[in-house]
Amino acid sequence: MTELAVTNTELHDGIPSTLVTRGLLAITPIGLCAGVVLSHLVSSNLLLSLMTQAVIGAILSTGVGVLYRQNGVVSFGHAAFYGSAAYIVGLATRHGVASIEATIILALVLPTLAAFLLGLVIVRVPGTAFAMLTIAIGQALFEFANKARDITGGDEGFRIEFPATIFGTPTSVFQKPGTMFLLCWAVLVLILCALHVFSRSPFGRLTVAIRENQERAQFIGYTTLIPRAMTYALSALIGAVAGVLAMLYNGFVSPDSLHVSVSSDALIMAVIGGLKFVWGPAAGAVVFFFVKEIAGDVTEHWPAILGIIVIVTSLWLRGGLAGALTSAAGFLRHRLSGTEP
Amino acid sequence: MTMGAIEGVDLTRAFGGFTALKSVSISIPEGEIRGLIGPNGAGKSTLIDVLSGRAIKWSGQVKLFGEDVSSLSPARRRCVGLARSFQRTNIFPDLTVIDQLDIAARRAEQPNVSEILRELDLKRHAKRRAADISYGDQRRLDLGLALIGRPRVLLLDEPAAGLTVQESMDLAALLRDLATRWRVTVLLVEHDMDVVFGICDRLTVLHLGRVLAEGTPDEVKRIPEVITAYLGDAA
Repeated sequence: MTELAVTNTELHDGIPSTLVTRGLLAITPIGLCAGVVLSHLVSSNLLLSLMTQAVIGAILSTGVGVLYRQNGVVSFGHAAFYGSAAYIVGLATRHGVASIEATIILALVLPTLAAFLLGLVIVRVPGTAFAMLTIAIGQALFEFANKARDITGGDEGFRIEFPATIFGTPTSVFQKPGTMFLLCWAVLVLILCALHVFSRSPFGRLTVAIRENQERAQFIGYTTLIPRAMTYALSALIGAVAGVLAMLYNGFVSPDSLHVSVSSDALIMAVIGGLKFVWGPAAGAVVFFFVKEIAGDVTEHWPAILGIIVIVTSLWLRGGLAGALTSAAGFLRHRLSGTEP
Repeated sequence: MTMGAIEGVDLTRAFGGFTALKSVSISIPEGEIRGLIGPNGAGKSTLIDVLSGRAIKWSGQVKLFGEDVSSLSPARRRCVGLARSFQRTNIFPDLTVIDQLDIAARRAEQPNVSEILRELDLKRHAKRRAADISYGDQRRLDLGLALIGRPRVLLLDEPAAGLTVQESMDLAALLRDLATRWRVTVLLVEHDMDVVFGICDRLTVLHLGRVLAEGTPDEVKRIPEVITAYLGDAA
């Protein structure tokens, strides 16, 4: 590699990579500690439970966000990976196919593999058609779970009987709001850090290049299908992680976990938080769950309030909440340093 | 006849009822800058699309240094040394200049990013988003993406389109210089006759999807059919 190319790999947006690495090394423990502090500040189990659900939602919407950021397409069908991961663990446990640990790993691997193979076909189609295909796939799985009563328990779903320990940890740890919140939070922080590194990696930049101009990417020597399918698989893996966590926490699985509303909620979270930022969808999830909870106590028409937030975000905050916060932070930094923004 | 660096044999390409290329054959020796001229609709861009692998549903054969590359995808053709630029600027707007050159360099045997930045005077824009630099700089970046890895054959589709007279002349001088030093074979589609006559070793004239004439610029200038069909006063 040439001198300047090497220089480029050492710089990210003008910041030396050593600083980026150091920043990540500092932010990751801070992020993890923030979860511990939060869980200690909140004594209400109800609120902790809501926070746990919000974090699981944040993980799912982060999966939707990475697909948009790297591939430039919108998925209305991520519930397919979220719900199928839960069903894989549930069904395998119900029929005693394998140990719970093995089925959890299977629940992460199978949806990811399926998404990659599916991606080889569907990432070829442009935006709107892609979105429609994701709805179709998600709803097909939903209908199957609903109708195949003998296998899935139909629309009532079924409870999952867990063994006493999972990965050597007492199962109760996964089902108490306080401890599950900490686990989900840690997973979210690690996913966000990993995605941050991914987006700055050569492969991450390649997928952005393909998103920007697929034809040009081909004419500089790249086969574009595999990277796009891999990104789709990555986003599916994140959705499956959320599904496994939800299944562990709830101990229950039903077709609702595959419904299109789960996918659209994740997309709304991502839009509110900001699709262009790694942490945007997670921020959007927090807003989504708390608006749903607070406004839901006041009126049954809480979706209308959420709708207004989406409209305001789409029209005036194009970068979402994350974009607005980043701009505000930049403005403050320039004001404090006395330089022009 | 010596083996051409790039050869198109009996190339035909039809769009519905309209045949844009009719059994066109072309062979360009290594190191030559070949100009491809002709009126609008003559089939110039279509020929470049067929040679580069962009076109679908065509017949004939494309050879690169004697090897049949007809069945190769654009990406594979790029990897074996066949690069191209486009009529309209075709870059990655949201990436920085150096990021996109770096991405292109990862597929090249000779990743010459710093050389491209220096030769095309893009060094000062290295850290800027491509969408934020001037049109002339974007055109040079487009050319830079094609030149990464020192391709053996370069197909250029109107690289001077939209440039000022001075920018066009600078680009022509740069192309001549790089083609000579790097021994790149160039097929150049261009309407700016000053650029074409200034740097091309030979010209191929296309008219209504067929080769009308071929020769040195001085020879082509004197062919009455070429003057009638295309050059007019420019001759």
